[in-house]
Amino acid sequence: MSIQSDALSEIIISAKNLSKTVLTANGSLSILSGIHLNINHGESLAIMGMSGSGKTTLISLLAGLDTPSSGTITINGQPLTTMTEDDKARLRNQFIGFVFQNFQLLNNLTALENVMLPLEIIGHPHAKDKALNFLDRVGLSHRYNHRPSQLSGGEQQRVALARAFVTQPSILFADEPTGNLDQKTGKTIIDLLFALNEENKTTLVLVTHDQSLATLCSRTLMLENGKTA
Amino acid sequence: MNLFLLACRLLRREGRSGELTLLSFALIVAVTSATTISLFSDRLETTMVSQAGQFLAGDLVVTSPTTLTSDWLSVAKTLALKQTMTAEFSSVLIENDSFLLASIKAVSNHYPLRGSLKITGNHFDQEQTITHGPQPGQAWIDKRILSALNLKLGESLHVGNKKLILSKIITYEPDKRGNLYSLSPRLMMHTQDVPETGILKPGSHVHYYYQFTGQDSALKSFKQFSKKRLNPSQRIMDIHVDRPEIGTALDRVQKYLRLSSVIIILIAGVAIAITTRRYSERHFNSAAILRCLGCTQAQIVKLFITQLVLLGFLASLLGCLLGWVSHAGLFALLKSLLPETIASANPLAAFFGLITGMVILLGFALPPLLQLKKVSPLRILRRELDPIPTQSGIVYGMALLVISGLIYTFTLDIKFTLLLTLLASLGITLLMGLIYALLTVIKKLESRVNLNVRFALLSLVKNRKNTAAQILAFSLTLMAMLLSFSVHQNLISDWQTQLPKTTPNHFVLNLFEHQRDDFKTDLTTHNINAQALFPIVRGRLIKINNQAVQKIVSKDSQGERAIHRDLSLTWSKQLPEGNFITSGKWHQSPPSHQVSIEQKLATSLNIQLNDALTFTIGHETINATVTTVRQVNWDSMKPNFYFIFSPGSLTSFPKTFITSFYLAPENKNFLNTLAKKYPAITILEVDFILNQLSLILKQLTQAINYLLIFALIAGLIVLAATINATLDERRHQSALLRTLGANRSLLRNNHLLEFISLGFFSSLFAVLLHDIASFALYHFILKIAYLPSLMLWVLVPLIGTTLITLTGLWSIRKVVNKSPLSILREH
Repeated sequence: MSIQSDALSEIIISAKNLSKTVLTANGSLSILSGIHLNINHGESLAIMGMSGSGKTTLISLLAGLDTPSSGTITINGQPLTTMTEDDKARLRNQFIGFVFQNFQLLNNLTALENVMLPLEIIGHPHAKDKALNFLDRVGLSHRYNHRPSQLSGGEQQRVALARAFVTQPSILFADEPTGNLDQKTGKTIIDLLFALNEENKTTLVLVTHDQSLATLCSRTLMLENGKTA
Repeated sequence: MNLFLLACRLLRREGRSGELTLLSFALIVAVTSATTISLFSDRLETTMVSQAGQFLAGDLVVTSPTTLTSDWLSVAKTLALKQTMTAEFSSVLIENDSFLLASIKAVSNHYPLRGSLKITGNHFDQEQTITHGPQPGQAWIDKRILSALNLKLGESLHVGNKKLILSKIITYEPDKRGNLYSLSPRLMMHTQDVPETGILKPGSHVHYYYQFTGQDSALKSFKQFSKKRLNPSQRIMDIHVDRPEIGTALDRVQKYLRLSSVIIILIAGVAIAITTRRYSERHFNSAAILRCLGCTQAQIVKLFITQLVLLGFLASLLGCLLGWVSHAGLFALLKSLLPETIASANPLAAFFGLITGMVILLGFALPPLLQLKKVSPLRILRRELDPIPTQSGIVYGMALLVISGLIYTFTLDIKFTLLLTLLASLGITLLMGLIYALLTVIKKLESRVNLNVRFALLSLVKNRKNTAAQILAFSLTLMAMLLSFSVHQNLISDWQTQLPKTTPNHFVLNLFEHQRDDFKTDLTTHNINAQALFPIVRGRLIKINNQAVQKIVSKDSQGERAIHRDLSLTWSKQLPEGNFITSGKWHQSPPSHQVSIEQKLATSLNIQLNDALTFTIGHETINATVTTVRQVNWDSMKPNFYFIFSPGSLTSFPKTFITSFYLAPENKNFLNTLAKKYPAITILEVDFILNQLSLILKQLTQAINYLLIFALIAGLIVLAATINATLDERRHQSALLRTLGANRSLLRNNHLLEFISLGFFSSLFAVLLHDIASFALYHFILKIAYLPSLMLWVLVPLIGTTLITLTGLWSIRKVVNKSPLSILREH
């Protein structure tokens, strides 16, 4: 089974016959199998499914964080599956941004320093100004010097959003970005996420349990027992 | 990406967050200790060596029976060496119808180049310390000369034809030797007066001592020059050859100091490895985030290593500064105990501290840090994905390599290094085996005990690797501290045994056979407990297995000196006290013509059991077969001999007797009684030498006592840091238990039991390792017999358990009081 987008020429992510199997004490366990997927530039895709359906595994494979057992993935025309770990890291730095359920900020760094980090990795000459600018866009410029532990969950996720968008990536992967937030804060984050996405023309791949969030995306992929439903 | 700048920023941010505090602290403590010990040892050793130089009154001494030719002295002058000369000879002093054989020492200007003389005006005057000899026309004398010749200070005395004024009583001279010329009481005069005495003529029996001081390199050059020019009757004197008792003590102290340095490094290394491991584990997530954000593996490694090197450099620099202050403080504290002049601090010794800091940091911290390279970016989604740990072989191998390298740098002793490295490897392997065996037993016991105990035992066995690492760290730290302490104790008690209060301080020579019984009675009447009277026959070794010794023995060997002079030969039915047979069997029957040889001489002359030796005694020659090789304690101040014959071998030759005894200072006048009753005897007073030796040993003991205290304090601080580094998991578990309703007393009991178990088992293993290490160290390196102490097996577990438990409870006190939520959130 496959889901094809309408405009093949603008495909930014392509996965073919993707499967992931892990070895357990009781033998091998199939987590994903037979996934075919094309995502177009600027498209937003929601991946849904129950716990254990393979959502997180799929997003980690698409982002090059994990290696599939079989199948191929290309990002921006570059075959991910034949790349070395370091090539994948460079690709992530160049094209990909992340937002995670548990924010994943470095606790030792201030909000500003967290946002500056991906820019510093690529040696951006004006990392601080740009990071301040993005903090301003998520409404946290006044708290730039605060550490994650001094910020609320919503504020931490806004810093994570600023960090994800500061390199102006082509693709943003978001793993249940509102999973740790109350409804009201969650809505604020989602509004901000989609606004930034729209502004930066980013391709969005979103894992969520939230149907209302999924409806905001242009497409939804349902997973069930490691297969597209 | 400019990794260096990023590393600097990250380091600054992490430093600010307090994340690196513990690691920096461990490193600063390590470098401070290493620098303190390095600076202190360096200055102490230089001081002690220079003080030892005082015992020769110069850094280098050439002795000769004739004056040295002028080219020697001009070479010394070219090398900018300071020089002086003394001449020692015997002369009979005659005043007021009394005779006395005196040991004359003529000293030139600048004497002594090292050390100082002590003189008094009369009995009640305060002793003066001065650094020059008497002026021409004056004589300084032993007090005994005054009473023996019925003289007073200020009166005159003739030395040969020269009349000298007795101006001072001499109470101490740095280079007084126990040779034939110091047997009799001393008279010191100026060399300028010697020609007028008319005593010294060509062929006179006199010893000239040419003393030199100066730069090390110049002394070295001069020594090389002198070696080539020496004739068989001339010698270069050396503290280790000419004052073996001081040389041995210094050697042992130097070995102890080196051992202390190594021990501190070992303790620090353990702490650094543990703190870095913790640092590394706490940065798994950071590494995963950085990987997600696009850092390559190489960039991750560079980023963290750059931070480590920067941190190491800064902490080491700070440690060096603190070490400098701390060693200065230590000297200030010891001011009254140490010699007045201390050698200046060598900045290289501080630099050595810096290098040591960096090397131990990299050696112990690199393997755990390299784990960060292996962190998968997927960990960001799956926290349970820990990187594969660095192979333990690499971790321990690297630490061992660094330690071995440092030990070698410290000691330049390959045997010591290899032995210690081998011991460390064997020790760690043995210890790991024991720890895992123990954890297996605990695992079996765990289900049979009550809840409180079970929690504590569970904490120990649930992560066997962590527990093993902790016990290993505690055991090694305790063992190192214990080793430092017990070596120190044994060193001191060995010195005390070497010089008990009643060590013989007088030798009597040239006693004739018909005087023997009377002499014994005299000693007994005065309650003087003398050593046995040994007969002496003067003879010279000329052949070994019918080959002339000169042809066999190499010029530089120690035995070379023994074959150029007459030796005191003796015989004895029994093996003398303090002698030990190393090979062969004591004189067999029939007893005649068997000989026992001293071990070092045997080695030097390459003499084996059953070799045939030929001696000349007067005009006769005798042969004897070597039946035993003996070890002799030359420091015992008892009559000791290179050769002891079997009874009957030498009885036909003219003989005299020798003995030694202890005489309390207040009974000194008894010597005059003996000298009058037995005019031919020679009395050798060695109490000056003994006092000098006691003084230097006392100073050394006090100095190393403070070094030990410092090592112990460093060890304790590192122990606290080590416990602190293992807190994360305990904190998390405690928070969970409290969340589930466990009260604080349950947690306290849990921790108490866990720390008691850790402390107890670590202490037991520490004593075991200590005993094994001590045996090897004492046996192979320090050459002292090792006697294991049962008390250690009781005291160490008691103290170690208390120490670890208290440190642990102190470190964990906040966990019990802090809100569980805040801990869980931090985690």
